[in-house]
This record gives sequence, structure tokens and C-alpha cells, in this order.
Amino acid sequence: MKEKSKLSLLLGVWNTKTIVGVAIGAALFGVLMVFGGIKVFTNTSLTSAMIVVVVVAALFGPLPAAVAAGIGNVIADLIGGWGFWFDWSIGNFVLGFFVGLLPIYGAKISDGIFTVKHAIIYVITVILGNALAFGVVTPLLTYLFYSSELTITWMQAFSAIVSNGIVLTVIGIPILILLSKRNARKTNLVKED
Amino acid sequence: MNLDKRLFINVIPGKTFLDKLSGTTKVRLFFALIILLVATWDFRILFPVLVASLIGLVSIKPNWKIVGSLMAFIIAVNLFNLFLIWVVTPDYGRNIVGGSTVLFTFTSRYILTAETLWYFLIRFTKFMATFLVSLTFIQAITPSEMAAGLYSIKVPYKIATIVSIAFRYIPDISRDFADIKISMQARGMELDSKKAGLFTRLKQNVLILCPLIIVSFERVGNIANAMDLRGYGKGKTRTYYSEHEETENDRLMKIIYLLLYLSIVAVIFFRIFFPPEFQVWAPWI
Repeated sequence: MKEKSKLSLLLGVWNTKTIVGVAIGAALFGVLMVFGGIKVFTNTSLTSAMIVVVVVAALFGPLPAAVAAGIGNVIADLIGGWGFWFDWSIGNFVLGFFVGLLPIYGAKISDGIFTVKHAIIYVITVILGNALAFGVVTPLLTYLFYSSELTITWMQAFSAIVSNGIVLTVIGIPILILLSKRNARKTNLVKED
Repeated sequence: MNLDKRLFINVIPGKTFLDKLSGTTKVRLFFALIILLVATWDFRILFPVLVASLIGLVSIKPNWKIVGSLMAFIIAVNLFNLFLIWVVTPDYGRNIVGGSTVLFTFTSRYILTAETLWYFLIRFTKFMATFLVSLTFIQAITPSEMAAGLYSIKVPYKIATIVSIAFRYIPDISRDFADIKISMQARGMELDSKKAGLFTRLKQNVLILCPLIIVSFERVGNIANAMDLRGYGKGKTRTYYSEHEETENDRLMKIIYLLLYLSIVAVIFFRIFFPPEFQVWAPWI
């Protein structure tokens, strides 16, 4: 089998299936962000939308997950009626990319490979990505776009980091295990030595 | 709030002035208004945009039963958010508007200043205008016109397709959600907030969510095959059936959105080179 290069793993394969998958992921993300959450702080909530990102990431890879999260957030803004916050959309884009890094460190969900080692790396990347996305990127862009007071953004960012972290690890890991088991069943061939 | 009523989109273009514009015009006008609304905190710009968006919403003759309850909900959410901001920082207007004229004193910490109220009025105007612009936009555009419009502003057509499919898929989600909820209730799941506690309802919502996500992603293969069979993604460029030639009205709106883009440039220019002392303009300062 030909070994895929890291770059093509990062970008993902943009065939029709990926496009439709990302589109449906974005729609689900948007709807769940508006309706599927418990309020934590103004405009941030313990949202179930991040589960969708995990699924898209497992099926299609980093860039598709990032695009789904970014466009999904714009759709949520469109139907949510709280105004457009492109800084948060870009933050979600970054986080989606980090969640989607699964195949880079060898967790191939589509082939049913997801071990404890991968779960630990997953938790670390998710926490790092979360901190980078909402602790650095979003406040920076908020300052650039809206030049507003950062105190509320910091508080929102903090609650977003915590709630996303909880959802991504506590619900995300079981979903990844489930998905990988589901895919492993399809390939019951054992590799001969 | 009923999920069904909230997530409505048009698939067939309507008959009013805004409906008849081409996708290109609608998308460009929408982006002009949204960027302007994001860029400015000036009441002298925000208020006319609010009025214009109200006129726009009235002109497309929406279903007022749905829109009315939605607007009431959004107004309540925005007022609640303003209240939260006031609870966290009662003297919010001091740094932003530049002044602290006390109108009312509750305790030494919780004061109500004219500047804070002015800021809240502006913030409310800004968010309501944004909401009305997006609502009018969603009501007046079809998914395929949206893709055509995005493609016309040089967005790669695969991204345009993603947006239009996502937009088109939203009502399907609400339909699936309702179906799954009904079938779960038929199996004896209690979703009434009076009878089941918060935690059980949370758990049950997760139980609805899982089939929803699985059903949605199982549909990916079907949709992708249908698109492949019609030759999607073979060419480098794409044309859209829904896109029609510029009409008289389109040319009229073109002048308006070009003026809007010019004013965006002016607003950003003044913000960078002549930054005002305080972020928000107030008539008495």
C-alpha cells in the first residue's frame, strides 16, 4: 500500500463525499450550537456541537473538520440571532483542525485503529488546540475586529475552553472508540506476516 | 421554542422586490451590511441600517406568526445578555463611551449610568439590525442562489456547494429530530420538563442526538453518489441555473451596495488613522 504523505493527510481528500460530509457536519454543528446546549456564560454554552466535529474529524481528517466547524459557526450565527462573531468562527476553525489531527499521529478511525496511546495524544492535542484557539486566536481577532473590551471575551473564552474540553474528551473519546470498532468490524481480514 | 418553526428556508424564490434580485446581488448586499454592522459602533450609521432592515423584512411579507415569536425570543435573549453584562460590570460605559453620569443608585457597586444605557441601546440596535438583516437574507434567498452568489465573489465553488448543502439540510435536521423524538416518546421516554428532572432530560437528549448524527452521516453516501452521477466536480468552473441576468432592480441595488462598501472603507480608514478617544460616540460628549 502506498504511504500517504503528511500534507495530503492534513488537507484531506476533497472529493464529493467529503464535500457532502462537511456540509452536513456544518449544518448539524450550526443547529446544535443554537439548540443543543446548556448555558454557561453569555453566548457560550456547554454545547453538544463539538461531537459533530469529532465525527467529521474521524471520517474525513483535519481540514474538513476545521471547515465544518468554521462554516457551522457562521450558520449558527445566521440562525441564532446574536450577531456575527467571525473571531469565534475562526477560533472554532482552529480547534476543528486540532481535533482532526487524528490520522497524523496514527489513529486511523476508518481502519479501526484507536488505542489508549492515541487517546492520550488526542486529549493533549485537544487541550492544546482549545487553548490556542480560544485563548490566543479568538481574543486576538476580537481585539482586531471589534476592538472591544477583552474582559468579557476572556471570561467567554475561559468558559468555552472548559466546556469544549469536557465535551471533546468525555463524550469525544467514547465516540471515537465506537466509530473505530464499527469500522474494524468491516475489515475482519488479518494481515499475514 | 419549536424547532420546526425556527428552521425554515425557501427553496422556491418568492415574488417580492428583494426575492427577485439575483443571487449575486443578494449575497453582496448581505455581506456589505454585515461587515458594516460589525465594523461600526456609531449610532448614526446603525440606526438607519436597523430601519432599512426592518423595511426589508416587511417588504418580503414573511409569515408573521413565526417571525413574531422568533423576534420576541431574540429580543428577550439580547436583553438578558445586556443584563448579564451590567451585573458583571455595572459601570461599563465609563471606558467605552467616556463618562459616568449616575442616574440611579442601587448599592455603591450597582449604579445605572446614562453612558451605560446609551451603550446598551447601541449594542441592542447593532444586534437587532444584524439579526433582521440575516433573517431577511435567509427568507429571501434559496440555497442555490446562495451558492451562485458566493461563487460570484470568488469563493471556490466547492466551498459554495458546502454552504448551500448545509443551508438546504437544516430543515431536514429539524424534521429528523422531530421524528426521532416522537418515536422515542412512543417507546415510553419522558421528555416533559415537568415530569422528568434536568439530568434525565439531558441524558435523553443525548439519546436523541446519537441517532440524529448517525442518520445524517449515513445519508452522505447517497447524496455524494447522486452528485457524482450528475458529474459534480469534474470541471474547474461552474455555472448556476438559478442565476439570472442583471435586471433594472439589480443595477439599482448595485449602486446601493457599492456605496455601502465605500462607507465600510471610510469607517475602517477613520478608525485606523483618526481613532476617536472613546469607542462609542455619544451626542453629549
